[in-house]
Amino acid sequence: MPKTPHYDAPSVMDQGSIWILVAAPSIWAAHFLVSYWVAAVYCAKSTTGALGGLMEPRWIAVWLGLACIAVIAWLGVIAVRRYGGVFVIFEEITESSERGRDKFIGHVALLLCVLSVVAIVFTIIPGLVFNEC
Amino acid sequence: MTNEIDLSQLPPAEPYDKARDEAQRARLMKAWAAPKGWKIVSAVNNSFIGKWYLLTSFAFFTFAGLLALLMRAQLAVPENDLVSQSLFNQLFTLHGTAMMFLFAVPIFEAVAILILPEILGARDLPFPRLSGFGYWCFLIGGIFVCGSIFFGVAPSGGWFMYTPLSSDPRFSDLGADIWLLGLSFIEVSSIAAAVELIVGVLKSRPPGMRLNLMPLYCWYVLVVAGMILFAFPPLIAGDLLLEMERAFGWAFFDVDRGGDPMLWQHLFWIFGHPEVYIIFLPSIALIATMLPTFAGRPMVGHSWIVLSAVGVAFLSFGLWVHHMFTTGLPEISLSFFSAASEAVAVPTGIQIFCFIATMLVAEVRPSVPMLFAGGALAIFVFGGLTGVMVALVPFDWQAHDSYFVVAHLHYTLIGGMLFPLFAGIVYWYPFVTQKMMNDRGGKWAFWLMFGGFNLAFLPMHWTGVMGMPRRVWTYQLTDGWAVLNMVSTIGAFVFAAGFAVFAINVLWPRGKQPLVTRNVWNAGTMEWGAEVPDKPWGVRSIPYIHTRYPLWEQPELLGEMDRGEWLLPDAEEGKREMIVTDILDARPLFVQRVGGPSFLPIGAGVSLGAVFIIATFHLWTLTLLCFAAFVAFTLTWLWTGTARVPEAPEKYVGRGLTLPTYAQGNRAVGWWAVFITMTGDMTAFTGLVFSYFFYWTALPNFLPEAARLPAVLPLTAGVVLLLAAWCMTVFARSTLGKGGRGLSMALLIGALPVGALGIAAWAWAAQAAGLDPTRDSFDAMVWMLILWMFLHLLLSWVMHLYVAARIAANICQPEYRADLMNLTLFGHFNAITAVVTFALLALFPMLMGV
Repeated sequence: MPKTPHYDAPSVMDQGSIWILVAAPSIWAAHFLVSYWVAAVYCAKSTTGALGGLMEPRWIAVWLGLACIAVIAWLGVIAVRRYGGVFVIFEEITESSERGRDKFIGHVALLLCVLSVVAIVFTIIPGLVFNEC
Repeated sequence: MTNEIDLSQLPPAEPYDKARDEAQRARLMKAWAAPKGWKIVSAVNNSFIGKWYLLTSFAFFTFAGLLALLMRAQLAVPENDLVSQSLFNQLFTLHGTAMMFLFAVPIFEAVAILILPEILGARDLPFPRLSGFGYWCFLIGGIFVCGSIFFGVAPSGGWFMYTPLSSDPRFSDLGADIWLLGLSFIEVSSIAAAVELIVGVLKSRPPGMRLNLMPLYCWYVLVVAGMILFAFPPLIAGDLLLEMERAFGWAFFDVDRGGDPMLWQHLFWIFGHPEVYIIFLPSIALIATMLPTFAGRPMVGHSWIVLSAVGVAFLSFGLWVHHMFTTGLPEISLSFFSAASEAVAVPTGIQIFCFIATMLVAEVRPSVPMLFAGGALAIFVFGGLTGVMVALVPFDWQAHDSYFVVAHLHYTLIGGMLFPLFAGIVYWYPFVTQKMMNDRGGKWAFWLMFGGFNLAFLPMHWTGVMGMPRRVWTYQLTDGWAVLNMVSTIGAFVFAAGFAVFAINVLWPRGKQPLVTRNVWNAGTMEWGAEVPDKPWGVRSIPYIHTRYPLWEQPELLGEMDRGEWLLPDAEEGKREMIVTDILDARPLFVQRVGGPSFLPIGAGVSLGAVFIIATFHLWTLTLLCFAAFVAFTLTWLWTGTARVPEAPEKYVGRGLTLPTYAQGNRAVGWWAVFITMTGDMTAFTGLVFSYFFYWTALPNFLPEAARLPAVLPLTAGVVLLLAAWCMTVFARSTLGKGGRGLSMALLIGALPVGALGIAAWAWAAQAAGLDPTRDSFDAMVWMLILWMFLHLLLSWVMHLYVAARIAANICQPEYRADLMNLTLFGHFNAITAVVTFALLALFPMLMGV
């Protein structure tokens, strides 16, 4: 008896989907761009060029960076809890099942979370050193 | 999830029947056969297009290499006058341009088109004719750009074409136009390939190949094609601005008229830096694919490599300003980019460590591909380390624009891209030709190239540190660079000799040499399952994959495929078909017909090429005529080849599985192609938005006084009308779905004048405010945004008329309305463009208190 598949393609935004793969690096990108824009606009429009005070570019980069790291940490928790992501070096998640695919996505998402946090910290550090534009 | 078919529980195949097998093979052969004789040019099979693409890219590589040898000959001794200064400028510009745009990027597309379908166990990619179109665009554009040097009008402003050198008519001539238009044209083919490859990886995987089982090569292709979508469009936006300034005098980069040459540097490098990784990642992907074969075991840290590819893809977009460290930007800004440039070394290093780990835990079989791969890693790591050096702002200030940078970039590109590519060519040569390359020739080529390369480029680090600037035509004996330059020149010729040995080895006629055995390297990936001698259909039947290295871990697979026991083993209707699967788990969704041989893509490519070439000479009437021809070719191609109503709604594909034969909306590959193309288009638009804000940031008086701003009322009326036209399109879709053909056509055609009134209102607002694009950058920017919207409307009008005609011809029907769904998707993106443009023209000045 021929069988016709009646399912639809699953939405890529659902649970068990791939949005979590790009979420953490996208947060890095957003933090990076905002830091750059804030600094560029501030340095172009400010008259003195001196940096100081908590609402100025480097501190915005820091506060925003900490907020981003918090969000990424939350994404990491999702990657572990919902997807079953693990932090291993010799990964062999080759099980041919939805669970296997989820675990793989969770694992890679977790790695990307770590990388994104490292990259955000990299962005924050120079702001702590520079005193002027 | 939903009603999933368990692919591992499919009913067994019918018992083998030799007569049936032969009949099926004959039908498949007929459907997939390439045209004979001269008509072979109309072939669109990935095996043909891929091979042509590859050979053409290598022809441009050879050409650009010869230019480099001329430069090295000129620089061999001090105060040399072998070539004139003007020719030297053309040489280095064309060398860089051709290597980047005509070799490094296209070769990725070439290799991917050639091997990706087979790695996926697919018959072909979903849009073979699009690949053909891309190839012809590439060929024509490449010949146009390279040919210019024989007429002495090659571009001469350096491969990154900095303004005002490239925008001021006193310093630049036809060469700059050739560069801008020729390369914009080639970018069309890159974006076409990106669309093809993304849809290929996402939707053409064999049933069962879930994301966790997808080969590394596919991950890289997906990532790189995605990067192309976000990296190339900003350059297209930049090209558009620069060409508008050159051809019509619009004020974008001219400081006297409120322009800013720095904008070009930003737009160029937002493209230019990710491009380095667009070049690097696909070549590293080749190593990642062949290394497990020679190690005889799966890659160590498969997922870590996925992480590294995705991570590099993102981080590489945060590096562009490191090419601009000496332009006087605020130091705090530079530091962000310096930090990102250091950070990108982390994921890049991870993949290198994974390769080394794989080599350590297994005993690697010595072979020519591994020789090239080893050389590649050595050279690349060296270039990567000098990269970390120039990523530091103070060091860069010293080394900027010196030969140190020349040495660094050649170490990264030749180590990161060229050597892995050569390894790949030796490795996949038997896959393409079914013959082996000469082993001794391969070793000679490697050692000549490896030695020659280091001899040529290692001394350049010292010439650079000793102060030799790049791009100088000649130098004095007293500068003290003579010996090092002579060594570099000798090295360059040794390197070239190595390449010559390699090229002869590749092109050597091997008619009498015996065919290789099947899976000659004992690899684990699907492409080596191809039958020997090769068949045009890719795979005899489309298998169920449930492992990462199917040829190793599913030993029974090849026999089953060959006997036609898997899916789609036949071509009853004599049409080319493939199975489309879902993104996450590769469950079979439907059967897709793909285009066969056709002259239409060539016609479209040639006429579009003519548009760009003739526009260089500002012959506008002829340009428009060629554009009309392009539209005619494209529409004929679409009308006859896409979204045809199937003869039956379902088709039996074997193993008890019946699949639909038509798909629309986000199930259809066409919908995804529109979505991906429009994402690229939106990125180009973002480039324009960036330009607007760049001017606002960099120029103290970018926003003029209120009297010179376009009036808010007509702007608002314009956006309302444009959105109304969009709503009509959306409504037409739902109306057709309910069977209202007449009303649907009326809505589609009615949307045209509504949209026209909208854009007219905007143009009137700009006109009434007296905005003159040749006077000031603000005026030019406003007109550019309106022009962008207008060009998109023009395109959407052609599409509206096309879909209305399809409804009239009853090809676009209530149940089969993929065309209209794709048009609506295009409309959504246009609506976003309209709203953002309105915000820039009306809301932002208001917000800033003008």
